[in-house]
Amino acid sequence: MSLLPALVVLPVAGGVIAWLADRLHVGTGVRMRSISWFVSVVVLVLETVLLVVESLRPALQAGGWRDHFFLPWIAQMGIAVRLDMDGLSLSLIWLSLLLCLACVMFSTRQVTVSAGVFHFLFLSTLTGIIGTFLATDLFLFFFFWELMLVPMFVLIAQWGHEDRQRAAMKFFIFTQGSGLLMLLSILGLVIIHYRQTGVLTFDYFALASTGLSPLGSMLLMLGFFVAFAVKLPVVPVHVWLPDAHTQAPTTASVVLAGILLKTGGYGMIRFDIMLFPDATSRFGPVAMGLGIAGILYGAWLSCEQDDIKRLIAYSSVSHMGFVLLGLFSGSWIGMQGAIIQMLAHGLSTGALFLIAGSIQDRVHSRDMRMIGGLWAAMPRLSGAGVFFAVASLGMPGLGNFAGEFLVLLATWRVSPAMAVMAAAGLVLAAVYSLRLVNRVFLAPTRPGAQPGTDFPARQMALLGGIMVAVIVLGLYPRPFMTFAVPSALSVTAAASGERRAP
Amino acid sequence: MIGHDIFLPAPLPVLSAGTMVMLLAIAWRRNVIRSLVIAVVTLLAALVSVSHAFGTPPADGTGLFVQDRWAIYTAVLILLSVLCIVFMSWRDLVRDAAHPTDEYPLLMMLGTLGATSMVFSASYMPFFLGVEILGISLMGLIASRHYRFAQATEAAMKYLILSGVSSAILLFGMGLAYGVSGSLAFVPPVAAAGFAPSMAQVATVMILAGMFFKLSAVPFHMWLPDVMEGAPPPIAAFTAVTAKIAIFASLVRYFGTGPLPPFLQGVIYAVIILTIMGGNLLALCQNSLTRLMACSSIAHMGYLLIAFFSPGRLQGGAMTVYLMAYTVSTLGVFTIICACATAMGQDGNRITAWKGLFATNPLPATTMSVMLLSLAGIPPTIGFFAKFEIAGTGVELQRDVLLLVLVIGSIIGLYYYLNIIRVMMNGGAAPSLPIARQPQPELTALTIVLTIIVIMGGLFPGPALYPLLPATVKTMPARNLTGTPPEAPIMKTAIAPPAL
Repeated sequence: MSLLPALVVLPVAGGVIAWLADRLHVGTGVRMRSISWFVSVVVLVLETVLLVVESLRPALQAGGWRDHFFLPWIAQMGIAVRLDMDGLSLSLIWLSLLLCLACVMFSTRQVTVSAGVFHFLFLSTLTGIIGTFLATDLFLFFFFWELMLVPMFVLIAQWGHEDRQRAAMKFFIFTQGSGLLMLLSILGLVIIHYRQTGVLTFDYFALASTGLSPLGSMLLMLGFFVAFAVKLPVVPVHVWLPDAHTQAPTTASVVLAGILLKTGGYGMIRFDIMLFPDATSRFGPVAMGLGIAGILYGAWLSCEQDDIKRLIAYSSVSHMGFVLLGLFSGSWIGMQGAIIQMLAHGLSTGALFLIAGSIQDRVHSRDMRMIGGLWAAMPRLSGAGVFFAVASLGMPGLGNFAGEFLVLLATWRVSPAMAVMAAAGLVLAAVYSLRLVNRVFLAPTRPGAQPGTDFPARQMALLGGIMVAVIVLGLYPRPFMTFAVPSALSVTAAASGERRAP
Repeated sequence: MIGHDIFLPAPLPVLSAGTMVMLLAIAWRRNVIRSLVIAVVTLLAALVSVSHAFGTPPADGTGLFVQDRWAIYTAVLILLSVLCIVFMSWRDLVRDAAHPTDEYPLLMMLGTLGATSMVFSASYMPFFLGVEILGISLMGLIASRHYRFAQATEAAMKYLILSGVSSAILLFGMGLAYGVSGSLAFVPPVAAAGFAPSMAQVATVMILAGMFFKLSAVPFHMWLPDVMEGAPPPIAAFTAVTAKIAIFASLVRYFGTGPLPPFLQGVIYAVIILTIMGGNLLALCQNSLTRLMACSSIAHMGYLLIAFFSPGRLQGGAMTVYLMAYTVSTLGVFTIICACATAMGQDGNRITAWKGLFATNPLPATTMSVMLLSLAGIPPTIGFFAKFEIAGTGVELQRDVLLLVLVIGSIIGLYYYLNIIRVMMNGGAAPSLPIARQPQPELTALTIVLTIIVIMGGLFPGPALYPLLPATVKTMPARNLTGTPPEAPIMKTAIAPPAL
């Protein structure tokens, strides 16, 4: 019995329960504001249990695919609910759960305005994300891909900061518009496959064997690439990101930066590189150029910011440039580096957004000029902030360094000049990270500032867990390098038919 | 035509009989509730009888009517949508005691009769009669708001004149077609010996132009926003949904599902591009909700025309699903407008009047958002699957330019649909909307039913995908009229790996 559908459905089902529970409480007048919060915690704990069970199962077969689920959906179109899990999706789902737990522990409890709806939207975003990581039917993948946008849009537009609605519209239109191009690519691939074999199917493994002309594969690959590039984001199409990250409520910022951006990287691995290896390698130099542009441009803008969340947002653009660089370097080591970078960035930037949100809750400002030194008043918060800022600048021994180093190594083999330019981005990373540390944590305390409460032990324990994960990623990335890579297509394509046979 | 070879689909006599009963009832004593009940009963009877017919279809294919799955499907859509519209209008009609408005349900029944006759017709005669019955009763309905007399009359006059012009073009085309081909069959004319083929082409183009007028494709679209704004919201829905289904069904019946004649390809290409871009760009600059819905309806007709223009394996499913998605979502939007209208004073026309609806009335706000997302094509709504299918037909035939226009149009569309949702979320200082006047159980129920259809249709669209299209009329006219269309080839699907 496969647990994958439960893994996908549980969050949204829990979200509905949270919503209803909140409504009922309003009706009965019982003063327990955080009932929906409790439901969310229970849901996430259950989800974690499911994931632990799923992680402990032995792999189904040598190709690395760990679990499989199949159910016909729209038979006339050859669309099925097909979910498969390999090491890559499992690692990214772990990342998602960890960050969602952190969100719930840190920030969602403070939502008082229609908290039930908030938790419902939060958990349905999680369903969309997990579904995206698991779907191996292209229609289903697209369905989940679009599905996670709506709740995110409402989260930003309703619970965000001052300019939230414009940011939410920008976010939605960019992602949806590029998604339509991906839709055309999916349909194109399906139709070409249909012409060749007479079988109409959206199955990932069946479509992988489609024979394509060089031009055709390039066009289809670009359709996918644009959609993922907007999500990742890649430089010319990144403009939605700083606004969305800055204006979103803390929870949504963490989910956006920590997980949603990773769906872009995941999509590039699973659908660009695995489906169109040939077109990807031809497109590689362009994509690597875009990656370098992202690294330098994001880091440069990040140095200029006064808004703490904006600074972190631009630093994300820079870090995701490394992911793009690694993925399109054409070597296995580059992809491993990119995956490590994705995981490390998710943890460290997610944590930074949590800390920024906590600062905003306490000081009521995101402007670094207004915040002043927090170390004296809130040593725990500041210590954690310094740790993650340092992780984000690429300190050796921490996760981001491992990822960036592997990417640079892979890039050097392709083009030393590119590697030098990318490494220059690390210098800028040091500049903006240290500016952040200096201005927010280490500066002299502003006169007249009211000291807020520091992080309680429970929250510090959770942050400590994230720190440990970042350190492990940095010191001993080898298991992740072998475990979290995508499983080969050919093995599965050959074995998927018979592995379930009794 | 002699008595023994009359073939008449049952909904037509049922609707006619219902109309006459209503006329008798009105002549005896005016009572709007009784008229509405008669209307509902007639519609239900027509729905029940929709797949029945009197007489047998003539074997030589010269009948007036045809009853295949496409006709039945579109007729069901028409009847259901009118049923919804009757419920939408119910409250306003009953409350307006000082001003007896029995004409309203009466004209609505007549309009339904016209629309149904259009989808069942296999000859120019019933088609044109249907067009005219529908058009004339719509004119009366559009002008039915006595308390906004000036706007209503203006809209009705605009509709009368433009509808008259388009009918004239249609009629001229039909006359020409009859002249060159000697047949009244509802297919593009083939010039008989002794006539220039260009005459037949001119006739086809004129008929197409007349249909585009009724379909409000750009550049024949100017009347729709004005008319829908001046009409009461339920009638705006009637114009946008029922009339459009009827004319689109006839368009598909007329040209069949095969490739279009070469001389039409360029024209249709241009019209589709203009319709999608024009509709969306016009919608972008509206600040009245009804006008915005009118413009978005123009754009949706453009998307539908892509499917019409792309004959392939996916075409049938795409058209049926898209018609259904468009019907349900548009009806949903108008139901919610009706439910909130009087509370807003201006019939809910100004978009700014919807400010803060999420805070004051969460149910209409949420359902409205679902409907708008469906129109924009976002999962998990039926509109998403419909747009997916439309894109599929385009990809199948490699209509690259049209697909590009589809993407651009959808992005623009997304902006104005989201903008309404944004306005509804916008709290602001004072919610401009007082809490709904009275409980409206029938509108609430209708809204919920439509929302369920939208969501369930998005999750399980399979049943709506059966091949329903008429056979290619042009090549096999006889087969189309036998009442049993040829089975569409069943698609082979992937052999799936067995589940656990």
